[in-house]
Amino acid sequence: MINTAVDPKKLEEVKEKIAQGRMPQWILNNPAIYDLEMEKIFAHAWQFLAHESELPEPGCYVTRWIVHDPILVVRTKQGQIKAFLNSCPHRGAQLCTADFGKKNTFQCPYHGWSFNNEGSLIGMVAGDKVYDGQVMDKKEWGLREIPQVAIYEGMIFGCLSHDTMPLEEYLGDLKWYLDIMMKRSDGGMEVRGVPQRWVLNVNWKLSSENFGGDPYHVATSHRSTVELGISPQDPLYSGYGSQVVLNNGHTVNVNMGVPGLKKPPFQGLPQEMWPMFEKNLTKEQYRIFENCTVIVGTCFPNLSFLSPMHGAEGHLHNYVNMRVWRPIAEDQIEVWSWFFIDKAAPEEYKEQAYKGYIASFGPSGNLEQDDAEIWTRVTNASKGIMARDKDLKYNNELNYMMGIGKMEPLQDWAGPGVAYPTCYVDFGFQNQYRFWLQLLMGEANLQAPAQAAQK
Amino acid sequence: MNSELYIEVVNFLNREARLLDDMRFKEWLELVTDDIVYRMPLRVTRERKDGSNLVDEMTFFEETKKSLITRIERIGTSSAWAWDPAPRTRHFISNITIENVRNENELEVSSYFMFMKHRASDRHSEQLFGQRLDVLRKIDGQWKIASRTIYPDQTVLPGMNLSMLL
Repeated sequence: MINTAVDPKKLEEVKEKIAQGRMPQWILNNPAIYDLEMEKIFAHAWQFLAHESELPEPGCYVTRWIVHDPILVVRTKQGQIKAFLNSCPHRGAQLCTADFGKKNTFQCPYHGWSFNNEGSLIGMVAGDKVYDGQVMDKKEWGLREIPQVAIYEGMIFGCLSHDTMPLEEYLGDLKWYLDIMMKRSDGGMEVRGVPQRWVLNVNWKLSSENFGGDPYHVATSHRSTVELGISPQDPLYSGYGSQVVLNNGHTVNVNMGVPGLKKPPFQGLPQEMWPMFEKNLTKEQYRIFENCTVIVGTCFPNLSFLSPMHGAEGHLHNYVNMRVWRPIAEDQIEVWSWFFIDKAAPEEYKEQAYKGYIASFGPSGNLEQDDAEIWTRVTNASKGIMARDKDLKYNNELNYMMGIGKMEPLQDWAGPGVAYPTCYVDFGFQNQYRFWLQLLMGEANLQAPAQAAQK
Repeated sequence: MNSELYIEVVNFLNREARLLDDMRFKEWLELVTDDIVYRMPLRVTRERKDGSNLVDEMTFFEETKKSLITRIERIGTSSAWAWDPAPRTRHFISNITIENVRNENELEVSSYFMFMKHRASDRHSEQLFGQRLDVLRKIDGQWKIASRTIYPDQTVLPGMNLSMLL
């Protein structure tokens, strides 16, 4: 049992505050909250591990993480995806420290136990001579499987709890929006290369909430791109469209761009691909996709996605960027960032879209550089006596009031979830934090049927 | 070995690094050719039997002169927050070798870099290290960078961003 020094009464107060659009700042940079999150959320939530295109053939493997658990993801000889704790069952050594590769046997360097990629213990040094078959049954000492592994549209997720609801139920209505990105083209999406990885000294929730609910930050945080003429002058430009609140804390923002400003359909994807979209998407998904500029959101707790329309040297291109904000500590994350592009896209388009990604996002990105700086500032200011006062005697609450009392949900939104007539609202934050808190307090759990999105 | 040429190359790389650390970016742009290819592949951890521990399909920089100009112009705006206040950077360049003399106006040069950055009042500094492979081309008597490939030694970048060129 993890020692959690968080007073339940204080969490009850946080619940009241969230309903008012206020967030006590003490929850942000707080080791006790971090421990509680590990116990109540990360031990039970579905976590993105890899995409099928990263394991193209039997024998392929990648090494990933669920927070501090190293995970070995393999494609078996039979072509099946499996995931194991990357730790030799003999004495615990990390079995494989390479990032990716291809082999059928994993041997531990410590005492030589060997495993196939089904996870079975197939060899031990002098095994028969030193282990009594009655005492030690080899079948009990295979690699420890991750309790649940499931794949949605090529996205491989793992879960550390047998009791958690199935992946598709967990994703719920978010699937409809994921489909617009992952299902639109024949053959689906492919990862280019490997994910980029870098460290940010920020709390994971800052990144999750930013992608999930914060188009409002774009015009200011990324004002340099407005000054350069890359982004529109209209300060509301990333607000046009809808923020959509979904089950289980998931949130998505569908930007439609500045009204009247000419923009290419389907986020700039080539016309030769459009018939595939019509074939693979529903009419409603197709229409939204045709008119949108950016789709950005978060799959609770810490998987975010961004499907933008960005330009390398004057042309606008689309791609899909997936992020895992891996929570190393209460004030540090390791960012994993995957670049996805449609397998069926023309090669030249893929290259240009990729250059557009590198120009804007990733650690060198013209937009991302400033997010890193700003989120660091939030974390740095949230560690002191004033920010962490649980009685709030320093008015140490953060403001998530945008839209409360002012914006009502749309009645005619074509997709699932509760949608608002603008992306400049804080209902997404409320949705994320409400569910987050329910999990921490034990008022919801991930075994239950999908929690409905709350207004 | 032509020691005069070697000294020219060392001086060039040192001066180039100095321009970056002094934030004299417009002058730095004059040291790159119009057709420059500027890239930074990813370092990965691989078993030795699997060969190269670099991934070329994914990079941290994938630049042309135009995209480099955009990066530098961004720093000159009033709202490049990662740059204002500006962090302090220092490029330590060493282990410079002329790998190949293609002709009297074109050289392949290898150098090591140790890049350090300190931001605001942090108690830690960011540190990146690795190797660069350059093609230097002499145009009108001035050496310029026609191609730079930066190979980091870290698979997980320890810094919050790559706001500075390497």
